[in-house]
Amino acid sequence: MKRGEISQRGQTDRREIGSIQRAGVSGGISGYVPIQAEVIDIDVESSNTYLISLRLLDEKGQEIEEFPYMPGQFLMVSVFGLGECPISITSSPTRLPLQICVREAGAITKGILSCRVGDVMGIRGPFGNGFPVEMMKRDVVITGGGSGFATLRSLINYIADKRDDFGEVTVAYGARTPQDLYFTSEYGSWQAAGIEVGITVDMMDTSWKGNVGLVTSLLDELDPTPGAAALCGPPMMINAVAADLVKKGFEEPDIYISLERHMKCGVGKCEHCTLGPYHVCQDGPIFPYDRVKELL
Amino acid sequence: MTPFLLSQDNLVLLLEELSQNLEVIAPVLAEGEPVFATWKGQPLALDKENPLNSPAEFFLPQRETLFRYVQYSGRYTFEEDPPKSRLILGMRPCDVQAIRVLDQIFGSGPADLPYVNKRKSTIIVALNCTKPQETCFCAQMGAGPRSEVGYDLLFTEIEQGYVVESGTPAGMFILKYYSHLFEEALPEHLEEMETRLRDAENAVRKNRPDMSAESILQAAENVDLDRAEKECLQCGGCSLVCPICHCFSTMDQGVPDGERIRCRDSCVLAGFSRMTGGANPRETLGKRQLHWYLDKFVYIPEKTGMLGCVGCGRCSKVCLGKVDRWKLLEEAMRR
Repeated sequence: MKRGEISQRGQTDRREIGSIQRAGVSGGISGYVPIQAEVIDIDVESSNTYLISLRLLDEKGQEIEEFPYMPGQFLMVSVFGLGECPISITSSPTRLPLQICVREAGAITKGILSCRVGDVMGIRGPFGNGFPVEMMKRDVVITGGGSGFATLRSLINYIADKRDDFGEVTVAYGARTPQDLYFTSEYGSWQAAGIEVGITVDMMDTSWKGNVGLVTSLLDELDPTPGAAALCGPPMMINAVAADLVKKGFEEPDIYISLERHMKCGVGKCEHCTLGPYHVCQDGPIFPYDRVKELL
Repeated sequence: MTPFLLSQDNLVLLLEELSQNLEVIAPVLAEGEPVFATWKGQPLALDKENPLNSPAEFFLPQRETLFRYVQYSGRYTFEEDPPKSRLILGMRPCDVQAIRVLDQIFGSGPADLPYVNKRKSTIIVALNCTKPQETCFCAQMGAGPRSEVGYDLLFTEIEQGYVVESGTPAGMFILKYYSHLFEEALPEHLEEMETRLRDAENAVRKNRPDMSAESILQAAENVDLDRAEKECLQCGGCSLVCPICHCFSTMDQGVPDGERIRCRDSCVLAGFSRMTGGANPRETLGKRQLHWYLDKFVYIPEKTGMLGCVGCGRCSKVCLGKVDRWKLLEEAMRR
């Protein structure tokens, strides 16, 4: 074998889907220095989940107004002293302010949730490709389960604000209990924008009058016409829903899955988020189903 | 440029002069073992085996500070150290090739500036390998025992000292600036160099059979992962000494002021890809072992055009288990 000579296998499909905004905002000599983000508002979404609104500050403490991103992209959020973790952007780029939805899961998310209005955390990003909204300008079904719905809210509000660009839009969202449902105050505004919204829970309580059961049965009921699909949720749900959508006539490359992985850098170097040949932080987190179904 | 000859004594003089302006890193003895460390006049260990700590750790250290955060009334300021000028002496061809691979990985896409900045401010003085060990298989991986690219200066040990060739303007500058220490290499010097390198290559080729990326890959897919699971102690040592492995983690130390640290990590460790919720995409050791092979022989080649292994043999040397990766691979090849 000669130096540097290797048969180019080249099987890996790295065609870009989606976003334009690749280079993350971060600075310093190392490029790993976060920018400061001041908490300006905190909303309760469920017993352990909060929607946090942020205002970005430059080195002089002045507000940074330009922060371009796309639905589906994520941030590396720092709590100084605890570390950094990936959090998807929950707000739509069509609206201010920048928001993240955080569920208490580990040390860093706990640290994020201990921040009060006026406190500062660090962010780097946006990272990842984001949903390919240009390719989704037709009938769209958006399916989410559990905390995976946080990233889809960005896409739903984006579509609601650019409603004329899209065809029929259906949202199917499942959570464990009615108390675990996020963004309940916004369903009305989505319906008003002509988006069909279906909600289901695994376990009901006395107050619940809606659907009970899996998202897949909810999808059967909603019966969306084949077009583009956006998916985010636990791995079991993703596999079941994607297979279900294929049965319903959706093409595998039109089913866009948002994946979650452990991440440390956001720039494809630390290797924590590798999925086969892909780095989820750079090549994803949105993948067409056909590209990753063997790897999931 | 014609090759030069540098005597052992003049090498020390050269290092003394260079170390006035740069940090000189060279193999020296620590408790009898050769290690890469800052040279402060101690005896050089260039004639010993390649140190177990790969020089890659001067670009991606086992532990480094990315930045320091300082809090003042609820807001933060950040401090960083600019990279120092350095020269690494005695980098073997395998390690030089490994740095070429890392340059591709860390320099492309969004670049990893802590690596790139250190790399840009470092002069590489390579040492052709005339003393390969039993664990070496650089020739099979196309990385040695002779360097062809990737160095600023290249040394080859001969009886009278070192034959010195330059590979970049920076290397030529050193040759010119310190020309009083060098003399022109004579044909017999070059002849001796060639003989030594030929012998080294023959020795290396005896260590392991010739392998193509394809055959390695095929073998990797047939590795007895059950056995690997049983005999690997999951210490991660192989990744920490590998000159191409570059998995890392980050963490913060200190409240309210402190620093963000990054340290080497390993994809064979159980918690490497585990998420906060507990889900772990590579839960079993077998899956993680397979990923290690695939990364080195499929994913890295696909990305960089170069193999993800340079045959330095460090992973075999450091392995605490009964069966190291390469033994497993060779067993699979024989099946």
